[in-house]
Order: sequence, then C-alpha cells, then structure tokens
Amino acid sequence: MNFIIGNINYIGAMVLFVIGLYTVLTHPNLIKKIIGINIMETSIFLFFVSIGYVQGARAPLVDPGNGGQLLVNPLPSAMILTGIVVALSVSAFALSLVVRLHQLYGTIELDEIIKIRSVETDD
Amino acid sequence: MTSMHFPVYILMLLLGYAVIIPLQRKLSGKRFQLGILLVLGVTVILAILELDNVIRGSAYRYIFGSYTRGIGIEFIVDEFSALMTLIVLILAILIVIYSFKDLDHEIHPTRIKGYYTLVFLMMFSLVGMIFTNDIFNLYVFVELLSLTSVAIIAIKNTKDSIFASMKYLIMGTIGSVTVLMGSALIYMVTGHLNMTLINGEIGMVWEQYPINILLAMGFILTGFGIKAAMFPLHNWLPDAHSSAPTPSSALLSGLVVKGYVFSMAKLMYRVVGKDISTEIGITRFIIIFAVMGMIMGSVFALSQRDIKRRLAYSSVAQIGYIFMGLALATELGISSALFHVISHAFMKTALFLSAGSIIFLTGIRDVRELDGIAYEMPITMGVFAVGAMGMIGIPGTSGFMSKWYLGLAVLDAGYPELLIVILLSSFLNALYYMPIIISAYIAEHPDRSYAPEGTCSPLPMRFSMALVAVGILLIGLFPNIVMDVIQLAVPTFVNL
Repeated sequence: MNFIIGNINYIGAMVLFVIGLYTVLTHPNLIKKIIGINIMETSIFLFFVSIGYVQGARAPLVDPGNGGQLLVNPLPSAMILTGIVVALSVSAFALSLVVRLHQLYGTIELDEIIKIRSVETDD
Repeated sequence: MTSMHFPVYILMLLLGYAVIIPLQRKLSGKRFQLGILLVLGVTVILAILELDNVIRGSAYRYIFGSYTRGIGIEFIVDEFSALMTLIVLILAILIVIYSFKDLDHEIHPTRIKGYYTLVFLMMFSLVGMIFTNDIFNLYVFVELLSLTSVAIIAIKNTKDSIFASMKYLIMGTIGSVTVLMGSALIYMVTGHLNMTLINGEIGMVWEQYPINILLAMGFILTGFGIKAAMFPLHNWLPDAHSSAPTPSSALLSGLVVKGYVFSMAKLMYRVVGKDISTEIGITRFIIIFAVMGMIMGSVFALSQRDIKRRLAYSSVAQIGYIFMGLALATELGISSALFHVISHAFMKTALFLSAGSIIFLTGIRDVRELDGIAYEMPITMGVFAVGAMGMIGIPGTSGFMSKWYLGLAVLDAGYPELLIVILLSSFLNALYYMPIIISAYIAEHPDRSYAPEGTCSPLPMRFSMALVAVGILLIGLFPNIVMDVIQLAVPTFVNL
C-alpha cells in the first residue's frame, strides 16, 4: 500500500497513458482520437514533472546566503514547457485537418469515412 | 576556409529562409526560385566544406552557448552525419528543381510559397536530427519533422491526401509521444539528457534498474518503428507517400524516413550501447520485424496497381534491409545499413521523380497501362529503369553494392539463413519492377500516343532526374567514395 501511495504519480501517469492509447485506438470519432492523444501527452508531462520532484525541497531559487538547501530539479519543468507547446501545435493542426475532412466527406467518424472511400474506389 | 560553426550556419540559413519566404511579395517568379536555389546551394557548399573539414581533421562536439558539458545542447559532428547532411541537401536541391515545374499542376498556386516554407523547415529539422546529441532536443526535432511532413502531404488538399495525412498525423504523434516516454524513462534513471553522458552512466544503471531500461527501449523501438515504418507498424506509409504531391513523396520516402532510422541507430548504440541492446534482445526483435518487412512489403507491393503505391510499399521492404543491417550489431552490419540509407535515398528519389513525371505528362497511374511508353519518354523511363535495377540489385547500381555489403555482413555475423531472405526479397523486387520496365520498353501499343503531340517533360524535371540516376550509377561503380567515409564513423557506434 505504501508503495502505491509513494509512487502514485508514476502509476497515475502510466494509467493515463494507457487510457489515452486505448481512446486513440478504439474510438472511430476523430475528435475523440485527438483527445486521446492529448491524454497521452498529459500523462508524459505528469511523468516528467514527477521525476524532478524531491521530497521536502523548495523551489529552485538561488539564494546565495542560504546554501546547502534541497532544491527541486527545475530541468523537467522547463522541458515540459517545450512539450506543452509541441502538444498544442499538434492538436491545433489535427483539429484543422478534421475541419477539412468534415468539409470533404461530411462526417468525422472514421468508419464512415472508410466506407465512403471504399464505395468510391469500387466505381 | 574552415570553421567549426558550419553545421549551425546550415541550420540558421534553412530556418531563416523558411521565415523569409512568406514575406516575399513576388509570388512564383524567377527571382523567387533563384532565391531558394541560392540558399540551398550555399548550404550544400557549407556541407561540402564541413565534410572535408571533418575528414581531414576529426569528429568534434559542438556545445551551444559555451555552457559546460551536460548543461547546454550538444551536437556531434562526425563523418557520417556530415556526409548524410550533404546527401540530404543535394537531394533536396534536386527535388526542389524538379518541383518548380511539377507543383503548378499538383497544388493550388496560392499555396506554393507555403510549400517551400515547409520544405525548408523540414530540411532544418532533418539536419538538426542528424547532428544532435541530446535526447530531448532530438524529440523536438522529431516532432517538428513529423508536423512538417504531414503538412507537406495535406497541402495537396484532395480527399485522398487529407485522409492520408490525418492517418499519418495520428500514427506519427503516437510514435513521437512514445519516444518521449522512453526518453523520460532514461532521464529518470540516468539524470542526463546528453547521449554521451547517458552512455557513461548506463552500465551501472542497467544493473540496478533493468526493467526501467527495458521499458525505455521498448517505448523507443515502438516509437521510431512507427515513424520509420518498420513492418507491422507501416500501414500509414503507403497512403501518405502515394497521395502526396510527387516532390513530397520523394522527400518523404527518400530522406525523412532515413532521419528516423539514423536516430534509432543513435539511441540503440550511442545511448544504450551495443552490449545492453543485445542483452535486452532488442536486436533479435528488430531482425524478426525486418525479415517480415522485407518479404511482406514486397508481397504487398506486388498486388498494387497504382505506381506510386507500389513504390511506397517497396519502401517498407527496403526499410527492412536497413533495420536488418543495424540489428546485426557488428561493424560491418551497421556500415552496410548506413550505406543502404544513402543508396536507397538516391534510388527511391529517382523512382518517385520519374513516376511523377509520367503522371505529370500522361496522367497514367496504373502500372498496366505503360506499354511502350519508353519510346515517348526515354529519359524518364531510363531513370526509372536505373532506379528499379538498383532496387533489384543489378551490378553497377548502388543497390547491388548495398545488398553485397549486407550479404557479407550477414555471413560475418553468423546468420547465413538471412542470406536466403535477402535473395528471396531481391527476387520479389524483380517480380514487381521488371514487368514495368519490360512493358515500357518492349511491349507494343497500338496508337502509341500518351502525351500530347510534341511534348515532353520540362527541362528542369529531366535535368534533376538524370542527375539522381547518375548518382545511383556513381555510387554503384565507385562505392568506396561513400563506404570509406562511413567506415570512419561506424566505430563510434559499436565500441564507444
């Protein structure tokens, strides 16, 4: 039990990753697929930020008079800022493609699009 | 003239010009095209000087912002990365020359500026990926490359291409997210992002946290497997590469996929190291996937009628060759894989450009309707024949040399049974490329009038195709030009 409580961040991140992957793979709705991708990305952000956490440490502000204190690792948080920007641009681009798909096919359900495509290639 | 800053100059030029292109008022005039060629030409010259610099001197590390090692982002400039950059830029310039004529027919004129912005951003991220020695920096370049390569397909704006790019975007994002998860797991146990520093720690970490490294390698293999179209994860590739505009297909199939393969090689050998990779068994899995890809990719290609889809499936098979060479984990194996990276880049570019030229002039995409077309389009079909011969492995082409090296490497590593797979795959290659060549050259067509009277593909298109074909023959006849450089760089992969 203590193991679970002590590592709840990591377990949560992995559970979120699997939930996201499941959503991407099983939902035919393209918007839901994009939400699934976002869940996967969020899980990694959680994971990355958890790596930098040190118990009992304080924010990494350098204080010359007060050396020897435990500081949280700031690097993962900085990297995740980059990660969030990348995730944002991927979602924006994916959503704009969904808009185009809706204009062209009249639906955003993947199974219906595949049905339309197979009918068109038969002609 | 030598300077250690050349790789950064190349990156700055590509990135800077990508920003400048949309600002230019003049749309698709001669000056616009000249500007693009000028910038790419300068980067090619810088890449040549850089390669010369590295071969005469030695490989070196370039740390940004004069931070100490491990804090700043680091580039490793070695012989292979310099050579790969040069080849990427040379092929890019040829494809861009080809695209000046071809693009007018394939995408809306208002989007042409945007297209070249994407090409420059793509080259920027590809060159960055080749040089970088930092796993998070690698992730950023991977993500940038995957976004630009999706956009370069979607820009055609047809039903097929939008659907294919959506598929590619979803698969590609799963891939890069998975790579990031793997990098996070490695960072968690080693505390470094610099590849060389991770490699220093990994031996100790492997004893303490074997499951962690195993998981990380699993994530990374899956991620790059999706992005590089390793066999069971390949199903986005045929749609994406066949529905894109022709220059994009050549860029994607010839260059982009290779960037991911090279990153995979870096992570397998420079980060985790040869010993741990083989002990986890990752190399064994890759060999199995590679064999499946080599056979099944060709079998799928055999059943395609659309010429670009056939070429795209053939890429899946050829990626199998590269992965097989990498997974042998011997010096010979890795050098044969890197050689095939370069020779396949030339061959696939030649094939896609000539297929695109046929589609450009006649609109025919079906491989069964090409009877006697070589009489009307001698240069195009000649280039196609050279590329296809290379794929089959006829002596004199670069494809023969890469198969030769791969065969030697397979015997050297003690897997003679893999030689049968290589031969079988070559046979299958012949089975789906030869009918096209034979019918184009020998079969008689009643009216023989594909193209409108007196037209042939425009000069820039013929020029760039012919140069790519010359490149194939040159590497085939003098493989040492490339192999000598590769052999300088390979020891840094195997015995670090």
